[in-house]
Amino acid sequence: MILFSIVLGCLIGAIVGINAPLISYTYSSYLAIAIVAALDSVFGGIVSTQKGKFNLIVFISGFFGNAILAMLLAYLGEKLNVDIYLAAIVVFVGRMFTNLSLIRRYYIEKLEGYTKR
Amino acid sequence: MKGKTTITITIGLVCFILTAVMFMQFKTISQTDITALENMQESDLRAEISSLKEENDEMEIQIDSTTVTIAEYRQKIATNQTASGLLDQELAKANKLVGKSQVSGQGVVVTLTDTEDRTVTASDLIMILNELKMAGAEAISINDQRIVHKSYVAAINNGYISINGNRQVSPYVIKVIGDPLYLESGLSAKQYGYIDAKKAEGLQITLQRSENIVIGSYIGNDIEFKYVK
Repeated sequence: MILFSIVLGCLIGAIVGINAPLISYTYSSYLAIAIVAALDSVFGGIVSTQKGKFNLIVFISGFFGNAILAMLLAYLGEKLNVDIYLAAIVVFVGRMFTNLSLIRRYYIEKLEGYTKR
Repeated sequence: MKGKTTITITIGLVCFILTAVMFMQFKTISQTDITALENMQESDLRAEISSLKEENDEMEIQIDSTTVTIAEYRQKIATNQTASGLLDQELAKANKLVGKSQVSGQGVVVTLTDTEDRTVTASDLIMILNELKMAGAEAISINDQRIVHKSYVAAINNGYISINGNRQVSPYVIKVIGDPLYLESGLSAKQYGYIDAKKAEGLQITLQRSENIVIGSYIGNDIEFKYVK
């Protein structure tokens, strides 16, 4: 059920995104940082699901909050002439790699459990 | 159950937003021309400006050298023009001399006409040509046949007169450019002058001064040298 909703949401999202109007190149960097933040939240959500600690409120607030915060920080960096968005990317992508490794480990352990049995 | 539905819908919505934004970004990046001026970052613009300035400097140097070259060429053209102008003058003068161009000036018009008593002969014409040249004629034509260095007056079969190879008939209008006074006095000396002598022989002959006589150019292309080296 959840898998179905994910696939459906992705499909509709892709169609809408392709047909959406162009964003000015100046703002596309903010959008990029928002995307990275959102992806980080998604991986974090997957990890917490595997651990059985998934909380919808935490996930949603992380998803939107991180994206908006990242954009705001990037904007602030622009104003301060400091490339804060680079720091945001480092943090988010670093966390993404950590989460990805956790996910990998989870599945490897699961696979090992199957083979032992 | 209710919680699960909420989770499903929310997750779907989140996926929808994420993919939509991602695809918008993909599209923007793939369709935006990063080299276009509006889309450049400030640092890129600065680099662009400095490179353009450099290019500008180089161009200015090139312009300077090109201007110098142009000036040189102008000078060359100017000298060429004076040279060709001199050549043109020389050519015009030479053409006048050999009779290849139309000339005008003051002079006299002599008309010889056949009468019942006597017709004009080739020797009459040869004689008057000689007299005119002696009197300082600079350009002569008979019935618009320009007399040049190789012109001839010939009686063909003692029947008709050929000048420059063209048949001529009476009246013979002889246009002469030269000093009118000399020409007239040269022809009309008393008793032994050409006019008196020919009138005595029975020819009709008139002489008329004119301020502006136009003598056409020699017709034909055979003034070239074939044997003179």
